[in-house]
Order: sequence, then C-alpha cells, then structure tokens
Amino acid sequence: MVNVRPSDFGRFWYTAVKDLSDVPIRPEIEPIPIRSTEFADLFAVRITSSGPYRLQGYLSVPKGEGPFPTIYYVPKNASVLEIIPQGTSNLIRSRYVTFSLACRGMRNSDKPYAAMYPGQLTDGISDPNTYMYKGVVSDTLRGLDYLMSRPEVDKMLVLAWGNDNAVLAAALHDGVTHVVTTPAYLFDTMDFCQMTDSYPLEEFNDYLRLFQDEIGSISTILEYYNLRWHAQSVTASTLIMSDHSSGLLSPKRIRPLADRIAGEVTVHESERSSYRDGLFAEKWVTSHLIGDGAEPIIPGHWV
Amino acid sequence: MTVDRNYKCRVQKPEDFDEFWSNIINEVSMVQLDPLCEVDELRSTPEIFVYEVFYNSLDGVRVSGWYAVPRDLSVPAPAILLVPGYQSDPPIPKDWAAKGYACLSVNPRGKVRSRIQFDPGYPGLLTYGIVDRNVYSYRGFYVDTWRGIDFLLSRSEVDNSRIGVTGSSQGGGLTITTSAMRSEIKAAAAGAPYLCGYMDAIELTDTYPYQEINDYLKSNPGSLESVEQTLSYFDGISFADKIDCPIIVNIGLQDNVCPPETGFALFEMIGSGDKQLYEYDGHGHEAGRYVHSAIVDKFFEQRLKGGL
Repeated sequence: MVNVRPSDFGRFWYTAVKDLSDVPIRPEIEPIPIRSTEFADLFAVRITSSGPYRLQGYLSVPKGEGPFPTIYYVPKNASVLEIIPQGTSNLIRSRYVTFSLACRGMRNSDKPYAAMYPGQLTDGISDPNTYMYKGVVSDTLRGLDYLMSRPEVDKMLVLAWGNDNAVLAAALHDGVTHVVTTPAYLFDTMDFCQMTDSYPLEEFNDYLRLFQDEIGSISTILEYYNLRWHAQSVTASTLIMSDHSSGLLSPKRIRPLADRIAGEVTVHESERSSYRDGLFAEKWVTSHLIGDGAEPIIPGHWV
Repeated sequence: MTVDRNYKCRVQKPEDFDEFWSNIINEVSMVQLDPLCEVDELRSTPEIFVYEVFYNSLDGVRVSGWYAVPRDLSVPAPAILLVPGYQSDPPIPKDWAAKGYACLSVNPRGKVRSRIQFDPGYPGLLTYGIVDRNVYSYRGFYVDTWRGIDFLLSRSEVDNSRIGVTGSSQGGGLTITTSAMRSEIKAAAAGAPYLCGYMDAIELTDTYPYQEINDYLKSNPGSLESVEQTLSYFDGISFADKIDCPIIVNIGLQDNVCPPETGFALFEMIGSGDKQLYEYDGHGHEAGRYVHSAIVDKFFEQRLKGGL
C-alpha cells in the first residue's frame, strides 16, 4: 500500500493542538502516602484535556532539591495505569520525576468513557472527527503541558517513554527532549496489519473484516497518525526499540521511520530478552539524562 | 547476580489449608454457573469463532472471558484454559484456536469486563483485604479461574478428558493453583510464576507489583503477622504438593518481577512426578518465551492430542 501524507496534515494537527490549548488544565494534586517512600513522594494528579475530559496520572517527585530529569510514561493501549512500569526498580523514583498518565478510556480516566482492549484503536474510526484516538493524542500532549508547569521538572531533560504515543508526543510538543519508543501500531498501520494476526494490529483487521467498504476512509484517517509523517518533527534524541530481525517491526522495516526522525536516532534490535533489552534501554536513558559516567538504576536481578 | 537454586521460601502451609479451600469450593458449588456464550462477529475470523463469555462465580460475581474455537473443530476437542497476567488485559486466544484447541481466556474479577461488582484497582489488587483470608482479593480471583473449568465442562465441543491450563506471570501462578485444585487438568505449563513465595519475593525485589505489599506493610505497622498468615493460604507453594498432572515450568534467571529463587522453591514443592523445569539464563520476566513457546506447544500436543 502506498502511504500518502494527507494534504491537510499540518492544519489537522495545528487545529487539534490549538483546540487543546484553549482548554484550561485545572490541575488537582493529592498526596498518596502509601506509595511514597523515604526517597520520593507520590501524588495523584487530575487534569483536564480536550473535550473537556478529566484525566488522572501518577506524579512521583524525588526528595531533595530539584529540578530533576523527568520521565513521562505516555498513555498506553492497555487498561491499567502503572506508577512506573512493572519490573522497573522503585529506586528510579529517587533520581527522576516520573509521571504516568491514563488517557481517556484507561482505568482512572474511564469516566464517562471506559475503553475496551481491544477496542480503543478503532473506536469511532469511521470518521476523523469521532475517532477516539484523536482524544488520546490530546491527552498525551496535555500530560506534557502539565509537566512543563512543574518547578521540579528540569525542562532540558524530559524523556517520553512508551509506545507510538512517545513519538507523537515529541512531534507535537516541544517539551520533549528525549524519546524511548517501541512502535506497535501507528507506523504504516495498513501495511503492517496485513502481515500479522496478533493484537494490537489485529484490531484493525477485525474492524476491516466487518466493514470492508470503509477501507479507503480508514486508510486516510490512519495517515494522520502515521509515525512516518510525524517523524520529521521529532528533534529529540530517540531510542527506537525494534523487534528482532525476524519480527514484524524489525530494524530493517523500522528504518524508514528512523531515517525520517530529525534528531539523533539509535535503533536497538530486540535480543528477545526483556532483561537484555531492558538493560540496554536503562543504560541509554542514564547516559542521555544523567551522563556517561553514571550507573543505571536497575533491578537487583539485573546486576 | 548468582541465583540460589536451593532457595527455600519461608511460607508454611497452614494446617487447615485444605479445610479452608474445601469450604470455599462448597460455597461456590451453590452458585449456578449460568453461562452465557455469544458470538462476537467483530473478533471472529473465517477460521475461528470468537465468543464473549460470562458466568457466575463466588459471591455471585459475574465473570467474563473470551472463548475461541476453530470453525472446523473436530469434536470432541482438547481445550486450554488461558489465565491472565496481573496488569495485562486478558487476550483473545485466537492463536490457541488456530492450533486446534477450544480455548477460554478468563477475565477474573477486577479485570476489564469483570469489574462492575469488584474493582480494587491496580495497584491495589494484591493487598485488598490482605489481613483477612476470608476477604482477601485472591479468594474470589482464584475461584473465578477455577470456574473457567466448569465453563469448559459445560461445552459439548470440549473433550472433558483433555483439558490443559497455561499462563505466565500471574498466569503462571494461576496455572499452579488451578492445576492443584481441579483434577480435570491433564497438563499444565506455568511461566514465570507469580503469587509464589510472596513474603520472600518482597525482599528479593524492589519492583511492582510485589512492591505493593511493602507499601502496605510500611503504611500498616503491626500487620506483618496477619499479612503473612493470610498469604500462606494463597501462596502457590502451599498448593504445589496437590498437583499430580504433567507440568512444565519456565523461569528467567534475571527475572526482575518474579524472583527466580521463588520459581526454584515452587518447583521443588510440586507434587507431580512428571514435572520439568526450564531455566533461561540471560532472560528476565519473559522467561525465554520466544524459545519456550514452541516447547509449550509440543508439550500440549503430546499431552492433550496424543502427540498427533
């Protein structure tokens, strides 16, 4: 399938960002003592995104004097909002401000809209104005707006970490200085979904099996979200966590995305080990946000 | 870090363990299963029927699941109960159906589609009611998965003598408890088992989800004894001696979520004489999945399909 950048791509996203900027954030912040430690405090944060829609996130702030380098765990295509990703050493909260945000539909941000998984990626997809993912992108950007308002955040060191949304965050918001991304469903979606029957891409296959006559319009809508067209706006230093060489999003297949990113890019080919891949990512993050001589904070079983 | 393969977990199986669970089994036996199984046209394919499933469980909680069946299934067919991870959303098991199994993927209480009546959240599930074994979250959560077997037994296309169970992480722990408590299970494959050696795991790791228990103990000084007592009834190691079906277990020696020490301790306690442990050095919580998935496939083929 030939990927075509929509002629109004720039206007579409300019308008979306402008509309979001017209919505007051109106933050509320509430301590969560049970998740606070001797080295970090945890807060529940509530903010308003486009719609208006109320979102919740977890903000962790190291004890001591900031500002601190910051990790923004962007919203996921899954129901559960984590404080920090499962398996991450809790001590990481002693070094970084961390912020995880539930986009609309995820737990903690599921009133009035509770997404299904699978379901979030195709909800309302028949019309660009009803496609739920447009709101998800707004939510992702709103999280950055909030972080930029926090005095504890070192604005020169803000990492967006997650799936495709990390790229969108860096492309559409100038607050992101670093990116760690594992693209899964928004890079050349229509091409890759034909090559797999695994979720999350299978969700698009499910939809198109039942609504075959919409394939043209769906393809067009997905091009607004295609990372291929957003990459040129990403000036942040970027680590792309690709599949193994025989996987769907292998280094070879992800290359057109990497080549389009304006900032420094590293592509890590999965070693099919969450330990080895995780260690690589933690070392990359540490060297970029703390410095080359610094030791990464890693779980005990990784030492 | 060197892993102690002879590590012994501190959990002590309570003397009234069997009585405790027997009472719960009796209680849930009074609840009508009342299964509902509706084709989901959106998720079905030309080769596979996908059904959205609901059934009743302990305390009258309505539990959901995904049930996938090959359209050209030769009946009666072998079946798999697929049990979910802690935070992940239970998958639609089309991959298992494509291999020729009728497969139920359970959404125990608190998961998406099963959270109207009970929803302690994440973090939260691991410590909800943790000072009282009679209200602890996993009391119902475990039973919800075991009831998945009753659902499979209610299906005419399922061969009741060829049912297996598998899952990884929390799914690995649920594989242990399910194969211990349901004699219908003829083969089990547990990956990176969670919910085994809880009290050791909270000292061996500083990662979530086990960190939830440390958070709880810090905020509730003086609760250690009652927490440990409750968890002894729910620890997979306490269930392990009851397993008598063929079982394989895989662990990653660099697992940063479920410490491999607890995996070794669990394996030692499994009662089945037909058991095998697969250790993956250089691997974390995925526990060598990319290699091991083929081993799991072959194991179930041999045990549930007679090696066909």
